[in-house]
Amino acid sequence: MSQQAASLAERRPTDWVAYLFVAFFTLPFLIFNVGPIIFGAGIAFTKWGIFGRPEWIGFKNFTDSFKDVWVGIAFRNTLLYAVIIVPGVVVLGLIFALYVNRRWPLSSLVRTLFFSPNVVSSTVIGLVWVWLLDTQFGLINHYLGLIGIPNIPWLTSTQWSLIGVSIASIWWDLGLAFVLFLAALQDLPKELYEAAEIDGVNAWQRLRFVTLPQLRPVISMVITLQMIASLRIFSQVYVMTNGEPAGSSSSVIFYMYQTAITRSLFGYASAIAMMLFVMILVITVIHRRLIREM
Amino acid sequence: MADSFIARSNRRLRPFGLTAAEVPIWLGGLIISLLWAAPFVWMVSTSLKHSNEVMTLNIEWLPPHPTLENYIRIFSEYPVLRWGLNSVVVAVISTALSVLSGALAGYALARLRFPGRDLLFGLFVASLMVPTEVCVVPLLLAMIKIGWANSYQALILPSVGNVFSVYIFRQFFLKFPNDLEDAAKMDGASQMLIFWKIAFPLARAPLIAATVILFTLNWNNFLWPLLITFDDSMKTLPVGIAAFAPVVGTHTQLEGFAVGMAGITILSLPSLLLFLGLQRYFIQGIASGAVRG
Repeated sequence: MSQQAASLAERRPTDWVAYLFVAFFTLPFLIFNVGPIIFGAGIAFTKWGIFGRPEWIGFKNFTDSFKDVWVGIAFRNTLLYAVIIVPGVVVLGLIFALYVNRRWPLSSLVRTLFFSPNVVSSTVIGLVWVWLLDTQFGLINHYLGLIGIPNIPWLTSTQWSLIGVSIASIWWDLGLAFVLFLAALQDLPKELYEAAEIDGVNAWQRLRFVTLPQLRPVISMVITLQMIASLRIFSQVYVMTNGEPAGSSSSVIFYMYQTAITRSLFGYASAIAMMLFVMILVITVIHRRLIREM
Repeated sequence: MADSFIARSNRRLRPFGLTAAEVPIWLGGLIISLLWAAPFVWMVSTSLKHSNEVMTLNIEWLPPHPTLENYIRIFSEYPVLRWGLNSVVVAVISTALSVLSGALAGYALARLRFPGRDLLFGLFVASLMVPTEVCVVPLLLAMIKIGWANSYQALILPSVGNVFSVYIFRQFFLKFPNDLEDAAKMDGASQMLIFWKIAFPLARAPLIAATVILFTLNWNNFLWPLLITFDDSMKTLPVGIAAFAPVVGTHTQLEGFAVGMAGITILSLPSLLLFLGLQRYFIQGIASGAVRG
């Protein structure tokens, strides 16, 4: 269909009015979305506060960041967030989608419930989970206590805070992966399953040899999307722990925020953001390469 | 397989059409989905409790003495109405501008022929690779320098250029039949007229999908409003309410969780109601936007 439309368009003369059509979107896009990227790449090489003029300092922001112990902690934590959240979201999202795809009674209610956390703000996620994960009075520790697990200081100890924030993030992010998996499952050709039925395949073999191979493209896409989202983690950290205790739940964007807002080091903050961007690009490219070779 | 098929048809549980073996799986999933939404129930339940009934060791899912005192307190002691108004203004205007400009651009990219069209679309797609967090610090600096900090234009304009809007309309208009357009052109209608009179009114599905998804996104937007609003009266609801979070480290809860839960109940209502009412468009929009994106 699009081919047909394209070939029809080829025969037409240029529609000059098209530039007016795209201008309303393209102008704000260039000014507020593309411009700051270029500007940001520039100020990453300067020392610049709210007051005064920028001072060109070359790669100093980058070399400084390698010596900054908090940058190291922030990058390590961010990778840990991705390592916990991505598998959590992908595995649970896939299980939930496989369940809903079977069309049980009340399936559409179940679908609504699984997706609902995805539509609320990070403030809602953060606050509700701070309350649920409260060490003394939280619901989670209460029920864990009933099965004999002593109170866990989810958000107040250096060992647990990153895990606490990750749990809330999985709850928040799962909806998107779930919907994408469900859409892919519903697009799968019925003939495949009919063929499998004739071959006398059991449910587990059907999942292992028919469904999962067919879902590979969407699984790899969800992994990429979720990995990028997890590496950008900020608002949950801001609301739930403020990076505390002792930076144990801080993330790269959270540290960038602190550097810009509390210390007014805009050049340094930009350099940190650029480094995260490069890391995201590298990880995405490596991931894509691995997928192709598998 | 054949005998299990027979077994299945023999042992159907009448009301639901399930076999005995399927019932535990069905119920298990149902229970997990209810647990998945339980934090919302706990949130609303806590917001309706007296503050001395909240931080206690006995768990009560239903408030023993339901009260609206937390809602009254939050509205009387904090500028929640102002934050809500800011959020409505910012989310409505950003969404309207995004959707309208996205529809125009999506139509041009799908239906019109002009030099640079593919390059422009390529630029839109490539921009998705760059996380928005990379933009915020330079944007903040620029906004402060031109005196736009704490302003509606600073809150609104950076969220207009959301590529999702262009994408979803382009997808729709690529599949749009040529006949209508050709007939209108025969009558000498201009492209602008064709767009406003014929194409746009028919684009109901992408219009609703883009509106609900972008409105939710803009309503929930956090990092940028947090950075650009220093003045309490210019905060949006998510940023204002976030201050009810306890300070970890010392872990003191000045207000108690009851007031905070009332705050996030107010904050989550618009997006949850929009989602419950227009669920189909949310899910279709997300699936079509990302699967082929």
